Amino acid sequence: MNCNDCVEKLDRYVDRELNNTEVLELKLHLEGCPPCADQYEFQASLKRLVKVCCDQDTAPEAFREKLRQILL
Amino acid sequence: MAESPARTAFAEEALTHLDTLYRGALRLTRDPDQAQDLVQEAYLRALRYQHSYQPGTNMKAWLFAIMRNLFWDRFKGSRKEDVSLDDVGEFVLYDKLRDEGAKPEADVLDKLAASEVVEAVEKLPPLHREVVLLVDVEGFSYKDAAQTLGVPIGTVMSRLHRARQQLQRSLYDYAVESGIVHGNGAGPVPQQ
Repeated sequence: MNCNDCVEKLDRYVDRELNNTEVLELKLHLEGCPPCADQYEFQASLKRLVKVCCDQDTAPEAFREKLRQILL
Repeated sequence: MAESPARTAFAEEALTHLDTLYRGALRLTRDPDQAQDLVQEAYLRALRYQHSYQPGTNMKAWLFAIMRNLFWDRFKGSRKEDVSLDDVGEFVLYDKLRDEGAKPEADVLDKLAASEVVEAVEKLPPLHREVVLLVDVEGFSYKDAAQTLGVPIGTVMSRLHRARQQLQRSLYDYAVESGIVHGNGAGPVPQQ
């Protein structure tokens, strides 16, 4: 695998959408290629950041109770 | 009116996904009151169409699909100009920051405020925003996201890719505006 192949697959790697063979090939490349490994770390960090920042909102308790009254 | 045990059990299970639905609605509408209206309507519709849910399948995805379809029913025709994503071209934040001499994670990602990241997500057109919400925030597989949105997996992948490009561009702009990077090739702003 070369760097272009690796970068092309990074989205699917951080999203856990590659098959086992592709994961092994990609991991092997990352172990021997610090620039690609850095880029992978960055993309994975960005994905984590989006999740953490957008994950903080929860439904207000009063709204939850209102729905329980309506639905149950 | 006394509800049947089956209906009550269904509603109880559906309510375990409330936070996911609320978060999604909040990000789509960008308004807490509208989000609550949307979610309430989605739950009422879900109960009405309970028979169309296949037990054992992904209830969270099924509920999210109902909620986002309602959102699009309301949205359609009112703000069509917001639907498309201008082609931002290939914008790779990592490359951009490296070119400017910054350490992308330590210098930039770690310094962005949560509110800036949320705002960048909310600035995405809804078609792209919802893919980010499903895959990045709620952890849906491409397949589940595709089923939820009623599009092929390839469409999920291309929307996600474009959304991430746009997101990175917005975050870069925030980093420049807030002085985290200079944005002129001079590298990160030195620490005081």
